[in-house]
Amino acid sequence: MTYNMQNTLLYVEDLSVAYGDKVIIKDINLVEKDVIREGHITGQVIAVVGRSGRGKSTLFKALTGLVKPTSGKVLIANTQTGLDNDAKEVQEGDIGFVDQKYTLFRNKTVYETMLFALRRKEMTKAEKHTQIMQYLRDWGLENEKDQYPCELSGGQRQRTAVIEQIFCSGHYMVLDEPFSGLDVGNIEDVKKAFDLITASHEFNTIIYSTHDIELAVELADSIYVIGYPTIEGKRMDYGTIVKHFDMKELELAWKDYGLDHIEVVKQIKQVMLSS
Amino acid sequence: MKQLFTPFENVSKNTRLFIVLGWVVLLLGFWFVSSMGERHLFPSPQQVWQGFLELYNEGLVVHIGSSLLLCFSAIGIAIVISLVFSYLSTVPIIKPVAKTLSKLRYLPLTGITFYLAILISDARTMQVWVLVVFMSTYLTTSLLSMLNAIPQEEFDHARSLGCSRWEVLWEVVVKGRIDYVIDVIRQNLAIVWMMLVTVESILVAAGGLGFLIKNSDKFMNHGRIIALQIVILGVGLFIDFVLNYLRKAFFRYSKI
Repeated sequence: MTYNMQNTLLYVEDLSVAYGDKVIIKDINLVEKDVIREGHITGQVIAVVGRSGRGKSTLFKALTGLVKPTSGKVLIANTQTGLDNDAKEVQEGDIGFVDQKYTLFRNKTVYETMLFALRRKEMTKAEKHTQIMQYLRDWGLENEKDQYPCELSGGQRQRTAVIEQIFCSGHYMVLDEPFSGLDVGNIEDVKKAFDLITASHEFNTIIYSTHDIELAVELADSIYVIGYPTIEGKRMDYGTIVKHFDMKELELAWKDYGLDHIEVVKQIKQVMLSS
Repeated sequence: MKQLFTPFENVSKNTRLFIVLGWVVLLLGFWFVSSMGERHLFPSPQQVWQGFLELYNEGLVVHIGSSLLLCFSAIGIAIVISLVFSYLSTVPIIKPVAKTLSKLRYLPLTGITFYLAILISDARTMQVWVLVVFMSTYLTTSLLSMLNAIPQEEFDHARSLGCSRWEVLWEVVVKGRIDYVIDVIRQNLAIVWMMLVTVESILVAAGGLGFLIKNSDKFMNHGRIIALQIVILGVGLFIDFVLNYLRKAFFRYSKI
């Protein structure tokens, strides 16, 4: 499938995060560009995989501006100016973040949650209401609009958390293990959510982590393996990107899951086990 | 029957009711039996009933009202002080002050009443402030624990929505934990209620349940003392029930 790449959407350079003396991640470098496919609105889906404790969550917190990097920088496209390749350093709130537990405000109903997420948008009350109701209908949450988080199922919480972040942040969304603990039905819901997000704007970029390598290979068009690097025969004890699989280059992106995908799964597992 | 004596066994609602009724009957039976005869530790139910009637005729309701007013005035002021310090404990410069306030709960009552007596001349105000000083330390301790128990994910969630640090405090801690504050008050109310009787018996001028106990104690009127204990327990449990009911009624999401 033909595609070309345009503006840089995410630029991470020499990113390191340490808590006190303990270095969690180091020397992370990655660049993701806007993928253009003729006749399609194609957002970017980036998967981050790696064994537990390799620093995936820390990387996500740094990407979303929730943790200040010890060194290095994270730049995202500044879509407000309308200029090509205009970048800005990421700040809290620029990138939506949905954690593993789908955390929401415990004292707000689904509708109140959405309204809060739209609080800074220059829209009238009626416009906000229309937008919220439209999303609730599209995402199958219309009947749950007056429910509190504790009254929602895992899948409903997850969808609420995703919509909230769509409303509040711009084009970027980071999801920490969105498939963890979900049943098959809920996993399908998340897949649909990914489709809805990526199909709604060219710049929309989803970055997610998962322990399900098959799902990473099936959904992502770019996969980063994070692990402990081996330098001069010695394994380090900090996380970094040890391998990048560009599914577009491999001509496996936007295709049904097949034998070639299984081969990539094997390769990823091998890299993970050795790092 | 065997299941009633098996650990971790689930029993039906009716069985639970039956167990409670069984204990109540056993307790009343013990009371009747142990209060019969010439020499006994507890007054008989008749003596207690007699004591209750006497208290009622001497204005028990007014004294309960007086105690409740004292209790609510003290807890009202104490909760404002504790909430301010607890919420502001998220600001690094205030944190040591809040922690110190919590640690002051180890101070003895006598020392505090001594200094308050120097500063305050009115008996009622003195009672209120003795309770306020004590309650503030206990409430601050509970509120700080509540704050520490908030998962980091909730703060990160608010920050990811572009909330400023003060907005995080407002949304996650202040608005997001009102139901917890009510529960903290409910749990600490037992201490106020216990302290209240002691404080009222120290300064008898303003009346109240503590004054009545002190008065009954002086004349060794056991029937009145037990009747008063039952009234105090009953009023305390009623306040506890009302607060718990209000929390559940007003905060549907509250699953504490």
